[in-house]
Amino acid sequence: MNKSIRSRALTSAAGLLLAGTLTANAEDIVIWGGFPELTEYYERVAESLSGKYPDLNVVVEPIGLRDHEKRVALGLSSGLDNATVLELIGSTANRYIVNDLIQPAPDNVSAFVKDDSNFEAFFQETATVGGLVYGVPVFRGQGALFYNTDMLAAAGLEGPPTTMDEYDEYAAKLTQRDSDGNPTVSGWSLRLSGGGGGIAEKFWINLHQYGGTLLEQDGDKYRAGYANEKGLAALRQYVNAVSGLKTVTVEMPADAAAFQREQTAMFIRESWVIGDTAKKAPDLNYKTAVLPRGSIALPVNLYVSGGSEKAQAAAWDFAVAANQPEHLVWMLDNVGWLPNRSGVDYSGVVAAKPQFGAFVDLPEDYVFFTLPSIEPINEILTRFAAQLVDAYADESLVGNDAAMLEVLKASAEETNTILKRAGILAD
Amino acid sequence: MLRRKRFWFAIMAILPTFAIFGWVRLFPIIETLRLSMHEWNLLSKNKPFVGVQNFVELFGDNQFLDALTNTAIIAFGAMAVTIPMSLVLAAVIYHRTRSRFSGFYETAVFIPHVVSLVPAAMAWKWIFDAKLGPLNAMIVGLGGDALPWLFDPVLSVICIIFLVSWQTLGYGVLIYLVGFRNLPKSVFEAAQLDGASGVQSFLYMSVPLLKPITLYVSVVTLISGFNVYAQAYVLASDTQGAPGRQVRVLVLDMLENSFQNFRVGYAAAEAVILLTIVLMLTMIQFGLLRGKGGR
Repeated sequence: MNKSIRSRALTSAAGLLLAGTLTANAEDIVIWGGFPELTEYYERVAESLSGKYPDLNVVVEPIGLRDHEKRVALGLSSGLDNATVLELIGSTANRYIVNDLIQPAPDNVSAFVKDDSNFEAFFQETATVGGLVYGVPVFRGQGALFYNTDMLAAAGLEGPPTTMDEYDEYAAKLTQRDSDGNPTVSGWSLRLSGGGGGIAEKFWINLHQYGGTLLEQDGDKYRAGYANEKGLAALRQYVNAVSGLKTVTVEMPADAAAFQREQTAMFIRESWVIGDTAKKAPDLNYKTAVLPRGSIALPVNLYVSGGSEKAQAAAWDFAVAANQPEHLVWMLDNVGWLPNRSGVDYSGVVAAKPQFGAFVDLPEDYVFFTLPSIEPINEILTRFAAQLVDAYADESLVGNDAAMLEVLKASAEETNTILKRAGILAD
Repeated sequence: MLRRKRFWFAIMAILPTFAIFGWVRLFPIIETLRLSMHEWNLLSKNKPFVGVQNFVELFGDNQFLDALTNTAIIAFGAMAVTIPMSLVLAAVIYHRTRSRFSGFYETAVFIPHVVSLVPAAMAWKWIFDAKLGPLNAMIVGLGGDALPWLFDPVLSVICIIFLVSWQTLGYGVLIYLVGFRNLPKSVFEAAQLDGASGVQSFLYMSVPLLKPITLYVSVVTLISGFNVYAQAYVLASDTQGAPGRQVRVLVLDMLENSFQNFRVGYAAAEAVILLTIVLMLTMIQFGLLRGKGGR
C-alpha cells in the first residue's frame, strides 16, 4: 500500500473513531425514570414540546427502579453531560440536594410549584429543601386493597375487609387448597421475598394499620418505632399467614401478576395496577377498597441536572409540561399512577374506572405516611427487609410472641445503630 | 553501551503496556485499599479517614457474615463439582478422540461457558420455578414432591452452585483436554504393559500428572466462584412479587452497600477482605498442588 493511501486510510479511521466518541447533541434532553410503564407518557410530553422546541431531541430511558437508583447515584456523582430530567422519590432526591448535586429550580418553575392552586402543601414540601424548590411534583404511589369480587362471592363474603382482624379472616376463607391441604390460590398475597427495601415498605403499610410506624420522629431526629405491641401485631399477622395458617407461602406467585392470573384473591398495592390490569387482564372482576387506617404516599418529583443552560431550560419546561392537565389525565387513565396536581378534572377517568375510587374518595380521617427524607432511609429499609424475610419463613415464631418481639428488638437495635451513625438518633 | 541502549529501549517498549496495566489493574486496587479506610457516601466531597473502623464493623455485621458464608459455600461447592466432573469428562472425550462425535462433545460441553450469563440464569430461573418449572414437573411426574428450589435457604444455594458449575465446567474440560493431549504416551504404555486397567491409569497416572492443570482450573474456578453475583441476582431478581429468595453473596452485598446504602468506604472494606481471602486461598492452592508429580 503506498504512503498516500495508507495515510488516507489512517485519517479516515481516526475520524470514524473520533465520531464514535462524540457525545449526543448537547441540546438534547434525557429522561431517566424508574417506572418503565411511563415511557409513553414521557414520549407524549416530549411530542407536546415540539412546537416550542422543534429541534429538541428527547431521549426517554426508563429502567427498573432499583437499577434506576444506582444509575442516578453514579450519574450525578460523576456528572451528567446532557440535561437530564430525573424522576425521583422525594426522600431519595434529598441526599443529592444536600450534597449540591441537584440545583434549585429556576424562578418560573419555583413559582409554578409554590402556587397553591397547582399543588397541596404536602407535595410542595416534598419538592422543597430549605425553602428552595428543587423539583416539580408529578405523581405519587398510594396503596389500597385490590380484591377479586368473584372469589369473595364464592367464599360467601360481602364487601372487602375493613379491619386487620377481618383481613386475617378473609385470607383464611379465600385461600384455595389442593387435596393435601397445600395452598394453590393465596387468600391475601403479601410481599415476602426479593431484594431491596420493598419488603420493609409493605410491612410498614400493614404496621400503619395497627397505628404503628417504622421510624418515630422527634424533632429532626428519629428512632426505631416498631419494637412494641403494634410491631408485634403486624409481624404476628405475617408469620401466621406464612408459617401458621399458610394462607400464603413464599413460593406462591405473588403481587399484581398473581392477582391478574387469579392466583390470589386480594393484595395491597398502588394504583398503577389498574392500568396494568386493564391491559393484561381486562376481564378480571375486581374492586378496590381503602385500607383500615391510612396508606403510604410516596410522591415522585422531576428534577433536572447536567447539560447546557439552554438544554436545562428545555428540561425544566419538560418537567412543567408533564403537569399539563391533558397529560396527567392520560397518565391516570392509561398507566394508573396518581397525579399530584390539584385543580385538574379527573372525574371522567374515575367514572370510567371506579377502581380509582379507593385512591381518591378517602375518609376524612384517612392518615397518610411517607418515607422520611433522611440519608440512611434506604439502608434502614434494606436491612430491616433482610430480617423480615428470615422471620416470615421461621416456623418456630408461630404463636411465640416473645420470640417475635426479640426479632423486632434486634432489628430495632440495628436501625438505631444506623441512625446513630448518621447522627440523627433521637434520645 | 549497546547493552545499555537495549535496556532502555526495552524499558520504553514495555512502559506503555505497564502504564495501561497500572491504570486499569493496580490503581483501582490501591484506590480500593485507600477507600476502605475512609467513610464516603459517594456524593459528598468529604471522605473522613476512619482507619480500620469499617473492618471492625464488618465483622459484627450479620449480613456481611451471611454473604461471606454463602459465597464461600458457593465457591468451594462449585470447585468441588467442577474439578472432578471436568476431569472425568475430559478423560472420556479424550479417549473417544477417534470418535466422529468428539468435536460435538467438546462443543456441547463448552457452549454453556460462552452463553451469556444473564439469559442463561433467566432460563434456569424458569427451570427451577416451584410452580411452573419443568424440573418440579419432572420430579412430581416421577412420584416425588415439588421442591421450593429458589426459596429454601439450602436449595437456593445449591441452585447457584449448580448454575456456576454448569458454566465453568466447559472451560475446565477444555483445559484438561489440553493437558491430556500433552501427557507422555510412553508412561501409559508402560502402565498398560504392567497390567494397569484404564481406571487405574486414570487415577494413578493421569490425575497426578495433571496436577498443574488442576491447580490452574481450581484457582480460576475458585476466583470465579468468589465473584459470583449475576446468578444470585437473576435467580431472585427484584421484580414485583419476586419469585426467589435472594441469596446474599459478597459482590451483591458490596453493590448494595455502595449504591443503595451509599457507604462506599464500607463496601471497599468488603472488597479488600474478598481480595485477601482469594489471595490466601490461591497461595494455599499453589502450596498444595504445585511441584507434586505422579506416583
